[in-house]
Amino acid sequence: MLKIKNLQASVGDIKILNGLDLEVNAGEVHAIMGPNGSGKSTLAQVIAGNDSYVVNGGSVEFMGKDLLELEPEERAREGIFLGFQYPVEIPGVNNAYLLKAAVNAKRKHQGLEEIDAFEFLKMAREKMAILDMDPSFLKRGVNEGFSGGEKKRNEILQMAMLEPRLAILDETDSGLDIDAMKAVSKGINALRDPQRAIVLVTHYQRLLDYVEPDFVHVLSAGKIVRSGDKSLALQLEEKGYEWIREAAPA
Amino acid sequence: MNATSVRKDLLEAVVQALPPGELSAIRSAALSRFSSSGFPTTRDEDWRYTNLARAVDVTNEWLAGFAQQSSKDENASDNTDEQFAITSQVDANWLVIRNGVVEGESFARVGNAYERGIEISRLVDGLQSASIAMTDGLSAFNATLLQDGLHIRISKNISADKPLGILFVSDMNSGLSQERVIIDAGENSRFSVISCCISSGAGKEFSNSVMQISLAAGARLDLVQIQQRDPTHLGISRISAQLQRDTIFNHSAFDFGSALARNDVVIDIVGPGASANVNGLYLATDEQHIDNHVHVIHGVGPATSSQDYRGILSGRSRCVFNGKAVVLAGADGTDANQSNHNLLLSEKAEIDTKPELEIYADDVKCAHGVTVGQLDEAALFYMRTRGLAEDDAKRLLTRAFASGMLSALTIDECHDYISDAIDQRLDELISEEIR
Repeated sequence: MLKIKNLQASVGDIKILNGLDLEVNAGEVHAIMGPNGSGKSTLAQVIAGNDSYVVNGGSVEFMGKDLLELEPEERAREGIFLGFQYPVEIPGVNNAYLLKAAVNAKRKHQGLEEIDAFEFLKMAREKMAILDMDPSFLKRGVNEGFSGGEKKRNEILQMAMLEPRLAILDETDSGLDIDAMKAVSKGINALRDPQRAIVLVTHYQRLLDYVEPDFVHVLSAGKIVRSGDKSLALQLEEKGYEWIREAAPA
Repeated sequence: MNATSVRKDLLEAVVQALPPGELSAIRSAALSRFSSSGFPTTRDEDWRYTNLARAVDVTNEWLAGFAQQSSKDENASDNTDEQFAITSQVDANWLVIRNGVVEGESFARVGNAYERGIEISRLVDGLQSASIAMTDGLSAFNATLLQDGLHIRISKNISADKPLGILFVSDMNSGLSQERVIIDAGENSRFSVISCCISSGAGKEFSNSVMQISLAAGARLDLVQIQQRDPTHLGISRISAQLQRDTIFNHSAFDFGSALARNDVVIDIVGPGASANVNGLYLATDEQHIDNHVHVIHGVGPATSSQDYRGILSGRSRCVFNGKAVVLAGADGTDANQSNHNLLLSEKAEIDTKPELEIYADDVKCAHGVTVGQLDEAALFYMRTRGLAEDDAKRLLTRAFASGMLSALTIDECHDYISDAIDQRLDELISEEIR
């Protein structure tokens, strides 16, 4: 589904990704771990199409298409979803309105009719129940005045409504208390599907107790330095990131 | 042409030629008042950014051709059957003032619509208790050529259940229109006015309108002004309001049209417990020039005033905000706020914003805040990652910025009309930037 080869990216004069390779197939859950500044969020932003990051080399292919050629909205309509580490507050733009516009943008792309208002509300309420979210969140401004946990739930709600092929969740676990962590994990697990791939970007192993990955990759200095199964995450938790730096092959 | 000031010889001749009667004494007094001041120029601090040279040209041209113009006007005013979008879409008792003259048919209809206690008269039928204010050159000029206007009197304890709509129409193609509306609200009365200015003229039109408001103790007036004139129009509006004890004056101004629009709102707080809320939204594009001046004088305290103006500018438009609050000595307990936020969609658009506080009292709470910015890139990217096209995301963000002013609206009847007008106007502003 997603094939990243030798990806290099920078912001300003600073090179952040230095030849990253990654392949993700349908049905898989990958976890990308790494210390601060290793390039985890940059990878997520580059896949989503943030033009603050300049791609200096390499390729990203998604469902056979050259992803780097597409605008952010085209990537989204093709089925890529980025769950933001810091979801943006947009005062004055109604949460339900954005959600519905997003669903309809995708449906239009697929040649489908706009979603019926009743269907939309029904679907949103169902997904919100899984996430333990009050329906009143639909009426508020997008992320406006939401707590950290509410913002993350809202990201998962958007993901659930959009049913992406590939979801990249950037530090979705950061700043969550245990109840929010459980609710968010439940939302993510509800979306596990043989047709869908999920990439969890995280600093800590904690989330992986709730959402079990098939593969774990360790990112350091803009490259994947080690890959393994979920036991790698446990080893990291135990030994810390220094262990990887020392053990990394030259 | 191209005189730098209004030609006095022409003006005197026109004043002489106007029909005699009660108004002619006012006109003579106004003429001498105007002669000493003339139109303001950019040398006046309050007019630094707004040049009336084109308005002077239109005025002189109109004065020179007055004889022909007035006969054409009489023909034009026969056309009373025309339907205007706002009068069918906004539930109010609509009166039409066309090119400075009140339309008889709409006047008769509205006169019958209100219950006892609300009296509306035409100035052409006599001044009665109305006093004609001429506090500056432009309001004196308005009085110099005064032919008609409205005097609205709301008696003590009367609340009208339906707003009064006043539609100002300019369709002369070339010329000058000056209207004057006087509102005297009695004690504990409650009244709402929706004023809408439109023009269909494709040529040189200049309008100079004055609204004088006086609120007796406990009265409340809500006034919404919607300006949707043709992009060639030059328009000046002056609203002055005197607020007695425990009065509420809510004013929202929406400026969408005109080549040049200058709005002055002058509020004189003379009674404790008064509250003035003045809001405005201006959406400008191309070469439009929109200038809002708000001047609140806190003569006594405690009293509150708030000024909240927002603007979205595209193209090469230029807007001005000057909000002033003056707190006179002894006006303790004053609470005055000013804010002006601007969104620039184009690098060539310009905003000159200046909130001013002049405080001579000790116990006051005053604050002001100003921002000028572009669309939030992070929010745009966020919405695009949800599949929204860039233009749609921009439209949503600009709409969100403007919607704050819509929620401050105090006359529900015009909410939907203004909401649609904002959407339509924002499409024009955004397409200007995408082009």
